[in-house]
Amino acid sequence: MAEYLLEMRGITKEFAGVKAISGIDLKVRPGEIVGLCGENGAGKSTLMKVLSAVHPYGTWEGTILWEGKELRAHTIRETEDAGIVIIHQELMMVPHLSVAENIFLGSELTRGFGFVDYELMNARATALMQQLKMPDINVALPVLAYSGGKQQLIEVAKALNKNAKLLILDEPTSALTTTETETLLELLREFRSRGMACVYISHKIDEVAAIADTVTVIRDGAHIGTLPMRELDTGKIITMMVGREMKNLFPREEHKVGDVVFEAKNVSCWDPINSERKVVDDVSFQLRAGEIVGVAGLVGAGRTELACKLFGYWRGDHEGKIFLEGKEITVKNPSDAVRQGICMVPEDRKRLGIIPLMPVGYNMTMSVLGRFARNQLINAEDELAVIQSEIIRMKIKTAHPLLPIASLSGGNQQKAVVDKMLLPEPKVLILDEPTHGVDVGAKYEIYKLIFELARQGVAILMISSEMPEILGIADRVLVIGEGSLRGDFPNVGLTQEMILAAAIGAAETAAA
Amino acid sequence: MTLSIPTPSTAPAKRDFRRLIAEYKIVALLLVIAIIWAFFGALTYDHSLGVSEFLTARNFSNLLRQMAITGMLASGMVFVIVAGEIDLSVGSLLGLLGGVTAVLDVWWGWPLYGTVAAVVLLGVAAGLLVGWLVAYVGIPSFIVTLGGMLAFRGAVLGITGGITIAPVHTDLRFIGQGYLPESIGSILAVVLFALLAFLAFRTRAGRVKHKLPVSSKPVEILKLVITGAVIAGFVVTLNSYQGVPVPVLVLLVILGVFTVIGDRTVFGRRIYAVGSNLEATRLSGVNVNMVKMMVWGLMGLMCAFAGLTTTARLAAGTPSAGFGGELDAIASCFIGGTSMRGGIGSVIGALVGAVIMASLDNGMSMLGIDTFWQQITKGIILVAAVWLDIVTSGSQR
Repeated sequence: MAEYLLEMRGITKEFAGVKAISGIDLKVRPGEIVGLCGENGAGKSTLMKVLSAVHPYGTWEGTILWEGKELRAHTIRETEDAGIVIIHQELMMVPHLSVAENIFLGSELTRGFGFVDYELMNARATALMQQLKMPDINVALPVLAYSGGKQQLIEVAKALNKNAKLLILDEPTSALTTTETETLLELLREFRSRGMACVYISHKIDEVAAIADTVTVIRDGAHIGTLPMRELDTGKIITMMVGREMKNLFPREEHKVGDVVFEAKNVSCWDPINSERKVVDDVSFQLRAGEIVGVAGLVGAGRTELACKLFGYWRGDHEGKIFLEGKEITVKNPSDAVRQGICMVPEDRKRLGIIPLMPVGYNMTMSVLGRFARNQLINAEDELAVIQSEIIRMKIKTAHPLLPIASLSGGNQQKAVVDKMLLPEPKVLILDEPTHGVDVGAKYEIYKLIFELARQGVAILMISSEMPEILGIADRVLVIGEGSLRGDFPNVGLTQEMILAAAIGAAETAAA
Repeated sequence: MTLSIPTPSTAPAKRDFRRLIAEYKIVALLLVIAIIWAFFGALTYDHSLGVSEFLTARNFSNLLRQMAITGMLASGMVFVIVAGEIDLSVGSLLGLLGGVTAVLDVWWGWPLYGTVAAVVLLGVAAGLLVGWLVAYVGIPSFIVTLGGMLAFRGAVLGITGGITIAPVHTDLRFIGQGYLPESIGSILAVVLFALLAFLAFRTRAGRVKHKLPVSSKPVEILKLVITGAVIAGFVVTLNSYQGVPVPVLVLLVILGVFTVIGDRTVFGRRIYAVGSNLEATRLSGVNVNMVKMMVWGLMGLMCAFAGLTTTARLAAGTPSAGFGGELDAIASCFIGGTSMRGGIGSVIGALVGAVIMASLDNGMSMLGIDTFWQQITKGIILVAAVWLDIVTSGSQR
């Protein structure tokens, strides 16, 4: 048997004459976990698409050796049959089908003549769930009955069911809570001990450091280096990724905190589908001008729901009062909110942030288009002038201001979406996971921008699941747990442990 | 709105055919028209006279008059489809408004301006009602307009009692059957060319000022020369028959106004945004419900124009007027490159689509081909056009 399970040599892939990746090597031994790191747009996804034959053999250059033999796959089916299974960042599940049906999707077990053998499928799916230490999952229930974290593990079960020899995980933990992440990493270690190999792609460098045996870093489509993890640490990986040393991840800048500009009183929200379930429970807080307030909590604690309510976007029942500069205001919909000076950058950029078919510039001016218009007619010159100055201010990398936004990298898309919400000159800016899926360089620029806004007196409410980010940026931290406000701490001597304790600790006391 | 990405002046030398077609979709569609016309021209060539029956000024004029009504519906339909919705009720609404036109004109003897004003108001109101049900009440447009298709058709049968109402007054007939005097047609052509030249110059100046890529001067001049030649050819041909038909003039004005709405107005930008990503647009602080309702307001307006023109052209109100009109309008949009998923499409494209459909109808009728063959051919053309669109845009799976 060959030393390597997988050997990719000199992989080069061009899109319309532009090299997305060039001469990349990736080697994976049996029973090894390889961390693949790189900024957004570095070429990680392209490399994985080459491997899984999303880009079929012949559309790229280089060689792939699989168990010592050359692999020339033209379809995803062929690579899956060989034992290469990829789990994408966005979960590929049919929400209304049952867990078992999803696991066997495309390879349903039948009694012959196309009749599905549900008993056998459910039995095997249950066995898989036990293997994944999730015996409490009912495989006959639809997938949508389970949280994002459970769904991720169901996705892993699906891969196991395909007899994967090599599992590729692309940002598997972006929607997971800390405990769920731990469970996943623990499972991967167990699979490793049984000889399964894994390529782990993540922006969360500490996860990579915790689990990988070897780390391969790529940057701008080129292979930067492959080193065993024991010779590396998170700092070194980041340096390799960005090509410069990142001494300070959080460019803290002095800013003055002024008077109270915004107040939410007794805000509650109910689930739109299950109208009995409270998702936000009697939350009250204040924001001051120029203050950066972090909102911490576990995924699903009700933070996004709270933000949506404040922005007039919550679909379910809700109550509570909102005051802006001392006056009570009503916010029935986002257009009310923007008009009155409350802006929100939503969490899910692809679904709620960008308008994909539109140029990046038109995305940015969407909220303030009326400014460039007289009698509805847009003055294209005025608009372009603003677009160009904003592109420079936000350091958005685009060949042309009128390129479709979907052709930009994630970080640049995010900068444009943030800018869209800056142009209305908000008094209160709500940022929901503003650096989610954004590379290190763009993160830094977004942080700088947040401080600049604070200096200008904007009150900022930043929801984030990355604790170091909250601790590095915020003046004050609100902790939300199970819909209620569990803590309101000034960020002085605050630690991750204290926040986490507030987020879950109170729940345990309440249960006890 | 044409969201064509201006090609940087230093475009990579390897520019494949596919991208070329995708960028200049309209050119491809015009090529298709040229092929269809050449085909019918060859088949209808009369040796004794030395001319093609299909390629006469008279037939050109007829063809344009035939497509005018579908074109009006298609102009409104483009925005509906771009906004990510569909409207199945326009044929019936056309029938209803055409019926109302006949009732007001023939039975009640209203003056022309009164009839037009009432029908336009009624059309916009009906459109806004449909739009309100879709946008604010939240009923899927397919259902609302399927209901509208039945209800409006029922209403027209009710008010006309199922009979043909004739004859309408001469001044109303002029809207559907009249021609512009030659001199006015020529003057309008010159004014139009001057306007287009001015706009081209201003756009170019603006792009230069903002250091955006512009096409080279000779290309720009060539474009203007071609535009001028097309306008001149158009008017001279029509003048050599009887002049520019009034419905065609109306359609051209609609084309101009709607293109400006789509390309240059806040409302137009928002229609495309809503169709491309409804939720992101809502979260940008845009009142998306209002945008959708207004789109249907325009659609209703177009139904009113189409209804007036239909009754004027037939010189009578018939309860079956506009039957199946929604399908012709929708097909024209898709042939003209409007995306089923919303966010992409142009009024000019839809009108070119309507010309293609009308050319097929007209040419095959002239050749004496059975109606059933005509329908089969049009069906195949629709599917083939969308297939081509999918292939050239590279979104094939």
